[in-house]
Amino acid sequence: MADFSVRSDSVNVEQIMEQIRARIREKRGSDYTEQQIRELASVKLEKFLDPRGVRSDLLEAYRQTQAAHTPPPPPNYVFGEDTLFETHRGPLRAMRKLLAPILKLFWNPNPLIAAMHIQSQLNTINAQRETERRGLDELHFEVLHNLVLETTRMSIELKNLKMKVESLTGRLEFNERRARALESVVVYRPGQDDRIESPAPAHTPFVPAPQAASSPQLAPSLAPQSGGAPSPGAGEGPGQRSRRRRRRRGRRGGGSAAAIMGGAPQQPGAEQPGAPQTMSEMGSHESDGGSEDSFDQADHAGPDDSSGSDSGEQ
Amino acid sequence: MKVAVVVQRYGQAINGGAELHARYIAEHLARHTTVEVLTTCAADYVSWKNELAAGVETINGVAVRRFRVSHERDPLEFGRRSVRVFDERHSVADELAWLDAEGPTSPALTKHIARHAADFDFFIFFSYRYYHAYHGVRAAGGRAILVPTAERDSAIGLSIFTPMFKSVRALMYNSPEERAMIQALAGNEHVPSVVVGIGSDVPANPQPARFRQKFNIRGPFAVYVGRVDENKGCKELFEFFEAYLKESSGSLSLVLIGNSILQVPSHPRIRHLGFLDDSDKFDAIAASELLIMPSYFESLSMVALEAWALGRPVLANGKCDVLKGQSIRSNAGLYYGDCVEFVETLRAIEQNRWLSGSLGRNGRQFYRDNYDWPVIERKYLDMLQRLSAETAAARTMEPLPGWFARRRADERAGSEVVAALPAGPCVRIEPDAPSSYAPPPPAARPVAASPQMPARSDGSRTAPSQPSQQDRSSRGRHDNRRFQGRHGRGRPRGGPQSGRGPR
Repeated sequence: MADFSVRSDSVNVEQIMEQIRARIREKRGSDYTEQQIRELASVKLEKFLDPRGVRSDLLEAYRQTQAAHTPPPPPNYVFGEDTLFETHRGPLRAMRKLLAPILKLFWNPNPLIAAMHIQSQLNTINAQRETERRGLDELHFEVLHNLVLETTRMSIELKNLKMKVESLTGRLEFNERRARALESVVVYRPGQDDRIESPAPAHTPFVPAPQAASSPQLAPSLAPQSGGAPSPGAGEGPGQRSRRRRRRRGRRGGGSAAAIMGGAPQQPGAEQPGAPQTMSEMGSHESDGGSEDSFDQADHAGPDDSSGSDSGEQ
Repeated sequence: MKVAVVVQRYGQAINGGAELHARYIAEHLARHTTVEVLTTCAADYVSWKNELAAGVETINGVAVRRFRVSHERDPLEFGRRSVRVFDERHSVADELAWLDAEGPTSPALTKHIARHAADFDFFIFFSYRYYHAYHGVRAAGGRAILVPTAERDSAIGLSIFTPMFKSVRALMYNSPEERAMIQALAGNEHVPSVVVGIGSDVPANPQPARFRQKFNIRGPFAVYVGRVDENKGCKELFEFFEAYLKESSGSLSLVLIGNSILQVPSHPRIRHLGFLDDSDKFDAIAASELLIMPSYFESLSMVALEAWALGRPVLANGKCDVLKGQSIRSNAGLYYGDCVEFVETLRAIEQNRWLSGSLGRNGRQFYRDNYDWPVIERKYLDMLQRLSAETAAARTMEPLPGWFARRRADERAGSEVVAALPAGPCVRIEPDAPSSYAPPPPAARPVAASPQMPARSDGSRTAPSQPSQQDRSSRGRHDNRRFQGRHGRGRPRGGPQSGRGPR
């Protein structure tokens, strides 16, 4: 939330809430309310879901099935020992009770009573199971309903995310191209050494690369057109060249070229014989590749240069 | 001037919202006038059992006269009658029976008011929905002032209360939302009224470090203060905060203060400290990053005001009109409507220090402008003086309908009536009924807020270097001058109560 434009002396809660909601909308991609998602899930599934995977009228069909199938509770009865002899007529009940022992002389009703009793219990159990199953059906319906809702929500999110990814990919590619273009046209502020180096192309008029390097704005257009093998300085900016010189000096232990070559130690401030005195001379020496180090020592005797920390970059 | 404060329960150990409100008002008014409290012997708001001795005692310098409750509440009967009057068409007799079942039924208190009405200049009744208020207002005649402490629940929709709102001498509302609701219900715009609310005894120097050390709490946290109850929105708070913990990279913990009747989730970043005394409570609020108020129904959230007084922002449930309205008017809190908004607003306050600092400063300013004790006392005293000066065109409550009419079941269900009432926060504050509060001249913006800054006789306060009126009017809000001046335009104040400012 660091992107709030909040000033301490003018906080407006309503504006902040609007910003927060806008941010939420931005995150969501599209601002669907719960009710809208439900409507989408129940009506327009085919727009977001694969119709082969989920039927858009699934919920409605399920609801209709549920509504149509509301069976009455299954019939049942209670069957006890006296059920066979029961009657609402008192005298008849008494007579049956009186004559029951005689009846049992002819046939045995107990297995029948037991069987019917068991059947009654089975009916009860079955009814309970039916009730539980209907409860489970409700649960399944709920689960299915939630699944469809979530699938819809996910598909919407997926769609939005795909669009975001595409957008971000486009932006990334654009930025990469832009970065490459900027890198190639980057303008260096000319330092003292760069000013010194700039006349170099004057002495090598037939090599196009240094010209390109000395005029950076033309470099991107000219470099590919040069065609031939690039010279050592071709395609480099002046800063790169001085860095390379520093690296070389680092490898050589920081001593002057004269000392390395076995000459007399150079006095500070003393002019070396043959050292370039003018910018044109410097340029000619540079073009020969001879006195780079003495130039660097004279102009860049800073701690960075003496440390030779760039040696690792080789 | 002699004033009676009439409330259902009273005592130092009684911390219910309206009861505490009544005690604070009685004790602060007692500094300016003679105050006697009339109440019952009950201490428990569920049973209304007579637990305290009848008679007169003195609490914090205020005389308290208690009367016995004639019968305790039968929860079953009360529940049955509540269903009847809240959800079904019913009669006035049903409503009266509901009121009787709700309690605290104390005819002795009502008789005392009727007998000694002339001994007092005014009776200030707290909580419209109880027996003592309904019958007491009738007994007090033209001396009754009502502090409704009304929430948006079904009880406000009962027809017996409408005449009461219209016939009292004055109404002291807690919030503009409450006033709008009652005026929409009763059409009592002619009754003098003022939005007052209540102050709090916030310590000058809370000790956040002491709280952290005492309870071993490290890191930033949000605090909830109140009963941990589903009715207070705590269940939703837990769900939302767990979503914050899952989704966000934030580092806030949640600290709960108050007795719990709800299972608190077991999570290392949710801590329940139970009931704390006031000192620890204020230290906790001062140590917190923000206060969360998840309640759906509030007449006035004292703890939110305390948080503002301590310079802490509030994150409120946007479904509660009062809290949302206060957040908007004060510019001192954010609000949420769902889980996503909760997470985002919480993250905003947590991560944007400018925002939280500004909200906190605005909150402190809002509190000082509207809820500091001198402001509250002045509003009460001004109202009392204004009513005293009036030639009492005594409003008497319209009589109850006859025996047959009372039993005619033609009253709409309370919930149905409430559903038809306009809802939403009051962003534009309508001025109070004509009163002694003259708005300040346009060039002067009432900011003040400092207790040391002398208040003018017209109730306004001025401060130098105010923004232009045009600048304020461009915001298109806050017509009432007394609700202006805390938009954070004032610079951070020094002193121990200063906000932490941008960090």
